[in-house]
Amino acid sequence: MEKILVSSRGVNLYYDSARVLKDITFDVMEKQVTALIGPSGCGKSSFLRCINRMNDFIPSARVEGEILVGGSNIYAGGVDVIALRRNVGMVFQKPNPFPMSIYDNVAYGPRLHGVKQKDRLDETVKQSLVGAALWDEVKDKLKTPGTGLSGGQQQRLCIARAIATEPEILLMDEPTSALDPMATARIEELVRELKKRYTVVIVTHNMQQAARISDRTAFFLMGDLVEYDATPKMFTSPEDKRTEDYITGRFG
Amino acid sequence: MDGRRFADMMMTVLSWAAALLLTGMVVAIIGFVVVRGYSVLSLDFLIEPPRDSMTRGGIMTPLVGTLQLVGVAMFFAIPVGVATGLYFAEYARDDMFTSILRLAIRSLAGVPSVVFGLFGLSLFVILLGFGPSLLAAALTLACLTLPLMVTASEQAFLAVPKDYRDASYALGASKWQTIRKVVLPAAAPTVITGIILSVGRVAGETAPIMFTGAAFFAPHIARSLFSEVMALPYHIYVLATAGTFIEETRPIQYGTVLVLLLLVLGICSGGIYMRSRLRRLMRR
Amino acid sequence: MKDRLPGIVVKGMSSAGIFIMIFILYFLFREGIPVLKAVTLKDLFFGDLWYPAENPPVLGMFPLIVGTLAVTAASSLLALPFSLLIAVFVSEVAPRSVRELLKPVLELLGFFPSIVLGFIGMVVLAPWLQETFDMLSGLNLLNASVLLGVLTVPIVSSLAEEALSAVPGDLRDASYALGATRFETTRKVVVPSALPSILSASLLGVMRALGETMVVLMAAGGAAIIPLSIFDPVRPLTSTIAAEMGETPVGSPHYAALFFGGIVLLLMTLGINLLSAWIEKKGKLVQ
Repeated sequence: MEKILVSSRGVNLYYDSARVLKDITFDVMEKQVTALIGPSGCGKSSFLRCINRMNDFIPSARVEGEILVGGSNIYAGGVDVIALRRNVGMVFQKPNPFPMSIYDNVAYGPRLHGVKQKDRLDETVKQSLVGAALWDEVKDKLKTPGTGLSGGQQQRLCIARAIATEPEILLMDEPTSALDPMATARIEELVRELKKRYTVVIVTHNMQQAARISDRTAFFLMGDLVEYDATPKMFTSPEDKRTEDYITGRFG
Repeated sequence: MDGRRFADMMMTVLSWAAALLLTGMVVAIIGFVVVRGYSVLSLDFLIEPPRDSMTRGGIMTPLVGTLQLVGVAMFFAIPVGVATGLYFAEYARDDMFTSILRLAIRSLAGVPSVVFGLFGLSLFVILLGFGPSLLAAALTLACLTLPLMVTASEQAFLAVPKDYRDASYALGASKWQTIRKVVLPAAAPTVITGIILSVGRVAGETAPIMFTGAAFFAPHIARSLFSEVMALPYHIYVLATAGTFIEETRPIQYGTVLVLLLLVLGICSGGIYMRSRLRRLMRR
Repeated sequence: MKDRLPGIVVKGMSSAGIFIMIFILYFLFREGIPVLKAVTLKDLFFGDLWYPAENPPVLGMFPLIVGTLAVTAASSLLALPFSLLIAVFVSEVAPRSVRELLKPVLELLGFFPSIVLGFIGMVVLAPWLQETFDMLSGLNLLNASVLLGVLTVPIVSSLAEEALSAVPGDLRDASYALGATRFETTRKVVVPSALPSILSASLLGVMRALGETMVVLMAAGGAAIIPLSIFDPVRPLTSTIAAEMGETPVGSPHYAALFFGGIVLLLMTLGINLLSAWIEKKGKLVQ
């Protein structure tokens, strides 16, 4: 039984007067992987940052329309952005562990949200690292700096950090673009694993990656949502000519 | 509102308050000087020497003295400062000499200005026999401003894109030809802004010249490198602390402070503005 | 060969910096050490009476050294937290337009002539303190510390702001995305990442306050006593040298003692300077 978790209703995003997203309307299903694809500058990353309101930091950015998460509009007045971001985790393009220990990196979020007891923190850190498939590699060096890990390990640390606040949704902004093929394969494997517990929205410029790991795919082009459908259908028989052109590599 | 959001708001409020307080203090200080000093400011004030035991007249002698000090100091500081900046940017290898030079420049930057005065007194005034003079005071100031000049010119040279050098080398130019024909012209405007800032710093210094050449009073401007000179900062100190008519000369004191402030802040803001313009141009 | 000559000339000219630093050390010691013929090192450092004009002169520098430390400590206590707040404001809180305006202004204030602040301390702040708090004299530790603070805040906050701004934006993003507030992000991620540079900047501020002359000469009151409160006047080493050097015969014990005071000052500032450089370098290696 598919259930809608995130619902975008006529979302427009402006930077000053430039309209970067145009009337984006679609639904993200719970416990699925939804891939956002499209050529660079198409607005897919900007849309991702609308879902946890990270665009708030860009003074010139303005959002119109509604995004419903679990049924309530996150752009309504009086929404608690901090609680929203706790519920919507994010993993960035470049691995960005804090310059602190592996343990403190993962415990950062829970500590912010008031978890103080040592044994509860220990357990959360362990579960998150296990969930990010990093536990076995780092369990003996939790006190060493997170910045000392390899690129792929760093990214999995960032995933562990993101799931440590027990979010429902995980946003991933081209999480493998800075990694080598081996590390990429491990992250992809991990994403398939993660969807058992989380709803994942992933931005990728790599179409094979979208095809391999996602259940549904949304194709963005110059701020428009061109097509949105089940991934197998998108990659075998897209409705729109532009989708087909992009997928078959005729542009982008 | 919970504790977390309250703490966040407190940071915003406190940091705004700090910024406003600082701005307020600076505006108050400058405003005070302007209001009190404005009335004595006139062309006559600038072109007349002090008269009647410095209770009347203008500040021509100390003003010209400050310009003379700055000029002579720059005559010595510019070649050495720019050469050192050039050395760091273009020639320095990772060797002993370079690290000692870096250490020396860094140390010089922290030497208290009054210690420069002691040094100038013992070397230039006494040992080299210049006596308290324009030359001794200017040399002391040149030493003091050297670190600022070095840092500014090194940054200027480092900001010249590597492509320029590569293009010159590819045409068969030698290292010195490349430096002289490509690097120096490209860096020159930025180097000049560094010099301007040094001029501003030197013009406002008091302690280093107090016992190396600044005169309590001189009847006319210095005509030789070996005469003592009056200088604006020291003139302020003298009028405010050592004169016989401290209260009576308050307006003159404020006027002199205002002129010094306009001179130093004017020169430095010119330098800072020019540099930010150049940086923006370079980035294109 | 022809091409090597300019390099040699440039290198030769740059060595001037090394010579100047060596000469400063040499001349200070040459003129300062002879004071030990007139007074023992212990009495010089710990003697608490400074009557250089007596015959024979009494040269106890303890009150001067305490004066230097007191005014440096008091001004740092006022100025360093304030500077950090300003740096956080410019780098993390201020809207862009305010930041663009404040940054060059802070840099400009770093060039503010200290004589002007000394003058303000003497003719404005001192009478005001005297009246408002009913003090004997407004020329005291508090007055000088506040003005020294005004002098050091722009320097420290400029450097600290650069350090905060240099912290990569993606670390801030990561923190915000986990639901942190701006304060939490600043306190737990941005400031710790920039800590070595902030410490180094703070030390440079302390060094500047320690070596500053005109402000303390004009505003600190000039009494060679050990201050018991912030309303007591002090006579730090710098102002002692500046005030007395003009009136002492070259080569006298008093003259040597003033140079010895210069050695003490120089070694303190040099120590702080090198510590600051070391912290900065260490911080860079870690990243």
